[in-house]
Amino acid sequence: MAEDLLRIEHLSVDYHVGAGTFRALTDVSLSMPAGRVVGIVGETGCGKSTLGHAIPRLLPQPPAQVRSGKVFFQGTDLLKLPKWRMPSVRGTGIGMIFQEPINSLNPAFRVGDQIAEAVQIRRLREHGRQPARKADVQGFDYSKREMPKAADVVTGPFVPPNLTETLKQRPPPISKDLQKEVLDFLHLVRINDPERIISLFPHELSGGMRQRIMIAMALSGKPSLLIADEPTSALDVTIQAQVLTLMKELMDEVSTSILFISHDLGVIAEMADDVGVMYAGHMVEFGPVAEIFESPRHPYTKSLIRSIPNKYKEDGVLPSLSGSVPNLSRLPNGCTFHPRCPMVRDVCRKDPEPPLTDLPPGPAGLVHRSACYFPEEVASLP
Amino acid sequence: MGRSRSDLVVFVAKRLVQLIPVLIGVIVITFFFTHIAVANPCVAWAGPKASPSAITACEHLYGLDKPLPVQFVNYLKGLVSGDWGYDPLYQVPVLTAIEQYFPATLELVLASIFLMVVVGIPLGVVAAASNGRIADHLVRIFYLSGWATPTYIAGAVLAIGVGSTLGISGGAFSTLSSPVRTLTHMSVVDALLAGNLSATGDALAHLILPATALAFINMGIATRMTRSSMLETLPLDFVKTARMKGLGEFVVLYKHALRNALITTTTVLGITAGTMVSGTVVVESIFRWPGMGLYAFSAITDYDFNGTIGVVIFFAIVVVVANLVADVLYGVLDPRVEWR
Repeated sequence: MAEDLLRIEHLSVDYHVGAGTFRALTDVSLSMPAGRVVGIVGETGCGKSTLGHAIPRLLPQPPAQVRSGKVFFQGTDLLKLPKWRMPSVRGTGIGMIFQEPINSLNPAFRVGDQIAEAVQIRRLREHGRQPARKADVQGFDYSKREMPKAADVVTGPFVPPNLTETLKQRPPPISKDLQKEVLDFLHLVRINDPERIISLFPHELSGGMRQRIMIAMALSGKPSLLIADEPTSALDVTIQAQVLTLMKELMDEVSTSILFISHDLGVIAEMADDVGVMYAGHMVEFGPVAEIFESPRHPYTKSLIRSIPNKYKEDGVLPSLSGSVPNLSRLPNGCTFHPRCPMVRDVCRKDPEPPLTDLPPGPAGLVHRSACYFPEEVASLP
Repeated sequence: MGRSRSDLVVFVAKRLVQLIPVLIGVIVITFFFTHIAVANPCVAWAGPKASPSAITACEHLYGLDKPLPVQFVNYLKGLVSGDWGYDPLYQVPVLTAIEQYFPATLELVLASIFLMVVVGIPLGVVAAASNGRIADHLVRIFYLSGWATPTYIAGAVLAIGVGSTLGISGGAFSTLSSPVRTLTHMSVVDALLAGNLSATGDALAHLILPATALAFINMGIATRMTRSSMLETLPLDFVKTARMKGLGEFVVLYKHALRNALITTTTVLGITAGTMVSGTVVVESIFRWPGMGLYAFSAITDYDFNGTIGVVIFFAIVVVVANLVADVLYGVLDPRVEWR
């Protein structure tokens, strides 16, 4: 079996705030083969963003604390890497797009310079002038639709830069050539007139433009994995559609693996190959997008899908899920969803909580997991 | 209003025009304060055993026998025509004295600002980056002690405690082991211009204690301001973006975060200009540094009205210009600011 690009095993993250401990993530496991787009969906506060930030170790510690778990990226447990080696994984290994483009660009620098910085880091690594992971040094051609082979993706040992060697090497070509590459990436995200845009500051651009710049910046590191943390949630609906269309097109052109985080099931259905459904810090269901939507195997997923607005529905009332996400500092015993579950039974109220288990393979033979004791009965729910 | 060069010129010009009423107020207040507080300075000027006729002659010479409003109008006339009066004891024109003393003060102040920027700001970054950990606590001890130490205590401790122990003292020109020609009246610059390295080292050794004494309290402010604005900046998304580019922690902190944190720090440092100017009076007196502070001190104690008013006008201009520089820097650092 080929090595997964990203494999998260039993990751638990707590937030220590004031007197309380909030279980932001509990025992989350996820595996993501190269070239797939995996969606993570759930309500606000269910831990999706914490998951996205925990992978490249962006969580501020304190208040966050990784209680247990492993995050394997290209075969290396990132949580075990010394802190000073994390930069070599970021940018060229893992890129990220944040939720609010208003805040995610540095207000003090011109956008062209901000993208150039990312391009420059990647070039230095391609020329071996900066420590980088082996797979990243080889790079891959973004004009081709091929991913680096999983076998190439094994981490090499860290070699400290040899000073005399480094001095002998010519610096990678910069300036004009660098600017040309920056313009290329702006073209890639369909920005007209990029020559003018590069000399502007972030506050001189609209939200949609800023998010395109952000996408260009993340892609300019040519990452093997792109984490998109609610990339369209802060945008107007029309701009949202534009950016989603752009991302959809880019997925075909660039073919990088994407972890797409969103609270919007419709967006996830459009973008993702696989979906992980999260509830109160737990991964409650994981499977191929079509199966999840057609035959959900967890009552939470079912009720989420039921509450998508549908204009073809005749009866006026939009079904909603009663109750709210439990307080993460006082999670209920047993299944975390049981207080809101329509088919709750005695076993659900008792510890231990139901684990995420493989279901019998469906017609396509793809992995489908559910954290419900009675996955077969979900289909009979209204 | 925008951010073009002409907008900046208009902005600076406007601020300089606003300086005029400030200066008028300063002149009026200092003139009447000095002339009313001291009834007859000629008693002091004419010497301890002067005859009444000598005192009268002195009064007549300096126009002190005329009514106060007339004296004021005469003074204003002189001020406008570039004659700021002269020191009654040594007969040195005020403007010439300022010309001679100011460079030494400028040197001292620049050295203090250098210390503030090179020591104070990085310490603030270190503290913010290690928020709540041991380095943060150590830095906090430093900046609180800086903040809690008035300049005169810092000056005295450094002069008596450190200076005499190490065998270095203040005093820029008089104590130099190998005097060099004075061109700029800045000891370090003069020594460098003369190409005399040992004199440069000597001048630096004389500069370091008074500069530290002057910088100490402001260094605490700089550190604390940098720390708190860095703590506001570090959780922002663009810092995460910088990290996610693969940048090292040093570049993330000192390029991306500090660049934005400095925007607030700069404004506060502009406000400290006043503290610094008043600090020079104390520090220069303690270290016998031949600058504006020492001149101000002797002008006040000698009842030298012209010198006192001249120094106060000059200090007012310096404080306003320092704040203007801080405002311009603020605009340069923050591209969202428009000149208005």
